[in-house]
Amino acid sequence: MNNVTRRGFLGLAGVAGAAGLSACAGTGTSATSNQGGDGNTLEFWSNHPGNSKPVEQELIAAFQKANPGITVKLVDAGKNYEEVAQKFNGALVGGTLPDLVVVSDVTWFNFALNKQLTPLDDLMTTAKVDPSDYVDALYGDYLFDGGHFALPYSRSTPLFYYNKEIWSKAGLEDRGPKTWDEFKEWSEALKAAAGNGKFAMELPDGSNYLDWHFQNMAWGYGGGYSQEWTPTFTAEGTVKAGQYLQDIAKAGVVKFNATPEADFSAGLAGCILQSTGSLGGIAKDAKFEVGTAFLPGEGNCPTGGAGLGIPANISDERKANALKLAEFITNAENTVTFTQATGYMPVRKSAVELPAEKEYLAKNPNAKTAIDQLPQTRSQDNARVLLPGGGARIGKGLDQVAQGQDVATVFAGLDKESQQVFDNQIKSKL
Amino acid sequence: MRARAHGAEAASHRSRGMTVAGYVGMVLVLLLVGVPLFWIVITSLKERGDIYVQPAQWLPDPATTANYHDVTTRIPFLDYFRNSVIITLVLSASKIVLGVISAYALSLLRFPGRGVVFLVVIAALMVPNQITVISNYALVAQLGWRNTFQGIIVPLAGVAFGTFLMRNQFLSLPGEIIEAARLDGAGPIKLLWRVVLPMSWPTLVAFSLITVVNEWNEYLWPFLMSDDQRTAPLPVGLTLLQNNDGVTNWGPVMAGTVLAMLPVLVLFLVLQRQMIKGLTAGAVKS
Repeated sequence: MNNVTRRGFLGLAGVAGAAGLSACAGTGTSATSNQGGDGNTLEFWSNHPGNSKPVEQELIAAFQKANPGITVKLVDAGKNYEEVAQKFNGALVGGTLPDLVVVSDVTWFNFALNKQLTPLDDLMTTAKVDPSDYVDALYGDYLFDGGHFALPYSRSTPLFYYNKEIWSKAGLEDRGPKTWDEFKEWSEALKAAAGNGKFAMELPDGSNYLDWHFQNMAWGYGGGYSQEWTPTFTAEGTVKAGQYLQDIAKAGVVKFNATPEADFSAGLAGCILQSTGSLGGIAKDAKFEVGTAFLPGEGNCPTGGAGLGIPANISDERKANALKLAEFITNAENTVTFTQATGYMPVRKSAVELPAEKEYLAKNPNAKTAIDQLPQTRSQDNARVLLPGGGARIGKGLDQVAQGQDVATVFAGLDKESQQVFDNQIKSKL
Repeated sequence: MRARAHGAEAASHRSRGMTVAGYVGMVLVLLLVGVPLFWIVITSLKERGDIYVQPAQWLPDPATTANYHDVTTRIPFLDYFRNSVIITLVLSASKIVLGVISAYALSLLRFPGRGVVFLVVIAALMVPNQITVISNYALVAQLGWRNTFQGIIVPLAGVAFGTFLMRNQFLSLPGEIIEAARLDGAGPIKLLWRVVLPMSWPTLVAFSLITVVNEWNEYLWPFLMSDDQRTAPLPVGLTLLQNNDGVTNWGPVMAGTVLAMLPVLVLFLVLQRQMIKGLTAGAVKS
């Protein structure tokens, strides 16, 4: 032991150095080449939206029973949609691609644009799947360049939640406001009814999807984030909506917060806008009677949530079987099972006709509000969901507006930035 | 005389003031660190309806252990726990060994290219590991190491930080002692084991603690490498308790956090005593 030579130590130092280098980098060879793989063993990458892992396992077991010979492996691909996208990105660089992957309203497009997802239309024709049973607005969200790149899966919309106790104290009818102007008329009474230290309304801040909910206001005043690819932040209606947001913030009617649903459940806010996915949680947490209503306005409710995509570079056999699985877990019967367990929306038109769903809706009027609102939904503007970083960019702008910066200036900045991002990153690929 | 007495009085006044200020500072820091921990623990003992309430509930009423039961049944907690232990033990051991021997070579052995090797190690410290994630992923995936422990452990085992820290510690040791040991005929291993390490005990313990805590909490790489509970560690497993589109039930999340925190806390308490012992034992007359 004692007679280790200097040479021996040099060797050891070399090993240590190599280990140090292992912390650095290595690159693989061409990774985007077509992957073969076994078509009868499918990998399904999911973040289990809405704590749905047990339901997903149940649906997969049913699928395997209906399709003997095909086994499906459910993979924990992250805690949110962004992490699934990150893991999928890793697999695209090198490694084994999944057969079916959860892609959200903001993550699917980049994969479709770079031809990393398969357009599903031909696969569906071959498999004789009729897309017309999917709710149009939800299926239409995945349309790009003449093809659909995902099937709707865990889809949600915002919903207007209100505290019935505060509502009756304010002497208001038991319903949501028909327009944002009507809400403004109600706001003084609501503020008084809510009381000191509480707020008439809470909204998530710009880092927590305010940009998703604000689309409803912008559309309500005739504006929007974009027309196709042209940003329209400076349009009259959009600026008016921004001004409205600033006004109610200044008047102390609305408070911005990372988790408004928590304050609402604690009785600290008269009403909130939040995803239908929060329905179950709020119902469990709140110690008062919760009312739900459509978002203000007609046909102004943005869609959201995630769908199921199939990677482009896998064998045709794998694609065909992956589509079979995607179709199975989103068919009328299974979308009902899935949505009743999670609070998402059934993605099939025929789902609401099933006895199981009819019975459920009769018992849960708040869930019914969400489904009745579906015909009022509208696909989101490109500037938010398709431009890289769109949601975060708009959210930041809205935070500035809420804090009192000049609406026209902030929105003009958003217009310019969005245009730049489009010119630099998207235009040449279209 | 009078002036001196006056001065002493002022000094004692000042020191009493300083003592009070010191205690106030300590209490503030204690609250700053302690209140969130306290909140985690009591939330883990609350019923769901009592978590979001105003005014805040400072003691769980009624207290329940249902959340702990929930954590251990809703997710395969023990599997994640076992993986965490394996990954942390192997990674920490290899990091500590590699760190110590490479630092020893770089500080006390003379060989050509020593400066260059050290520079390369320091350069590795400058590269944030998020940058190398994608290329490492490609390499490891091609080796077929996804969903294996070596896939998680090997790429993380590099130790620029430990090498740097231990090298500087070794360089700060009095040269006379090293010389004396060499004159007495101690070979390199004996020198390291009997002379250098005993004098560096506190730094080594601190380095080990930092390493263990870091590895225990490692998230990004194990998450990318593992698909399920066969290899995923606790931080990845606990995310399954959070609801990613809707309202999270924080009770079980907090219970999971408490359980994940315990082993590191125990280890810290044990090693802390060692650290102090090392400090006093290291008093060497030069």
